[in-house]
Amino acid sequence: MEKQYSKDYTREELMAIEASRFIKSTDTVILGTGLPMVAAIFAQKTHAVGVNFVVESGSIDPILPFAPFTVADPIIGHMAVRTGSLREVLGCMVQRGLVDIGLLGGAEIDQFGNINSTCIGDPQSPKVRFPGSGGANSIASCVPKILIITEHEKRRFPAKVQFITSPGYIDGPDGRKKAGLKMAKPDIIVVTDLCVMQINPDTGRLELTKLMPGVTIDEVYRNTGFEPRLRGKMGEVELPTEAELKILREEVDPSHIYLKEFSTQPRT
Amino acid sequence: MSKVSKRVKVMSAQEAVEKLVFHGAIIGMGGQNVTRCAVALAHEIIKQGKKDLTLTGCNLSIHMDLMVGAGLVKKCEFGLGGLGRFGATFQFRRAIEEKRMEAEDYDHLTMVCRFLAGEMGIPFIPVRGLMGSDILNYQAPSTKKKFEIINNPWNQGEKVVLVPAMEPDVTIVHAQKADEIGNVLIQGIACHEPELIRASKTTIVSCEEIVSTGFFRTNSDFTTVPYHYIDAVVEQRFGAYPTATNGYYSFDADHINYYQQCSRAGGEEYKNYLNEYVYGCETFDDVLEKCGGVKKLNHLQREMVRLM
Repeated sequence: MEKQYSKDYTREELMAIEASRFIKSTDTVILGTGLPMVAAIFAQKTHAVGVNFVVESGSIDPILPFAPFTVADPIIGHMAVRTGSLREVLGCMVQRGLVDIGLLGGAEIDQFGNINSTCIGDPQSPKVRFPGSGGANSIASCVPKILIITEHEKRRFPAKVQFITSPGYIDGPDGRKKAGLKMAKPDIIVVTDLCVMQINPDTGRLELTKLMPGVTIDEVYRNTGFEPRLRGKMGEVELPTEAELKILREEVDPSHIYLKEFSTQPRT
Repeated sequence: MSKVSKRVKVMSAQEAVEKLVFHGAIIGMGGQNVTRCAVALAHEIIKQGKKDLTLTGCNLSIHMDLMVGAGLVKKCEFGLGGLGRFGATFQFRRAIEEKRMEAEDYDHLTMVCRFLAGEMGIPFIPVRGLMGSDILNYQAPSTKKKFEIINNPWNQGEKVVLVPAMEPDVTIVHAQKADEIGNVLIQGIACHEPELIRASKTTIVSCEEIVSTGFFRTNSDFTTVPYHYIDAVVEQRFGAYPTATNGYYSFDADHINYYQQCSRAGGEEYKNYLNEYVYGCETFDDVLEKCGGVKKLNHLQREMVRLM
């Protein structure tokens, strides 16, 4: 049967759906708060029913009926095979190497895939202080595939982050190896409401691989503090189907905790 | 006398804080964002004005923000300060931005490993993360030595980061059940607390209910930590309010949002919050009454039942 595509979606909804497409049924995924959680739960309810979630607060393989408020929302333990501790998940799974995909967000992401969730300005007396690493540093250090989901704004995508909270390729292709990270060449994928970017392990830099429907390369460049190279012929992100949007809206985020603030207005 | 005691440790929050928390103490903070934060115990520390505190934990949440907002905290040593989808912990954020409080950033796994070293009586522990990050490039002025990078002695060329053990002076946690000598049951996600409690020099546990020691002796796999590590047991129903306690009640989103509104506004609005809900309440039961009483608490219990 032919897919019934819908054009009645917001860019943010498609961003979550597109991110979910990188998650397979056989993956073990560590969840993080926010849109990444929406993408992961959507995957579990659609094409990746077998996906295995773990959560830093200690929840192991929960079945989440809807997107929780935070990683310590009591629902996070729903139907889990074990509700354990933070060390069991971040230590015995992430650091140990049992996790396939890490889902992250951040205040700033740069061309090397480094993430800042600590501060803007001098760390001793910052202009703006953010929450800090949480579980993100271990995830970025140890997991082979990092999926970053964030709104696309110029200030969020500087050439260089002001503080590396969670390392991407640091300063180039061998940055991680030089720093001593055992996981030297992780895959890093960034899904935004404008495009998809993916790390090139040979250059250590993000490259533009796909555009959201109706978005131009120029629009991406105008909203990015560096110029990501183009990888081959630009692909376009597949539209969502009506059935997908229904699941996303009615099952994954029924209280509009995550998707409420998003607008359908095009960007300038 | 042995440090370990089987004596009855039940006391009021007021007694426990008077006895165990002191000016300048390093306080271990249980809970994670909207789950099982030891709010009742934090209120008591604030009312007693215990100052120059260092707060340590993984996700420092609303209980930390209250203590910072009350002006009692000189330093936080942590993985993250924040309230998830409810937003930043604004008192914490402002105190760092205005240089009124030191922040020593680590990450969650490193902090829990530091407690793990502490609980096992070893001086430091290796972790694989942190390398290549700016977390290693900055340290708070009062920190003596944040980390050391060494070569793995058994695999030359492999670098590992060593971090020091952390042994808080007194930890505050909220659990579901405890008995009067201090056996503790934490249900649901346990976050960093098993390691934190065992690493601490002393621990105050508040709990939803006190059960008999027979409960633990006949269900010994329910014991999250045995009485050896506990110094005070405080019975306080809804002691984590407005955060959740698994199996008992959900978090109160309305009150957390209201707190966030006051904390974000700061100034008089925040002072009024502290006066109304902390200083102006003789007991934590008075806080609960003020926040909606039985009707509200029943609602939060039903919310939890709905989740289970």
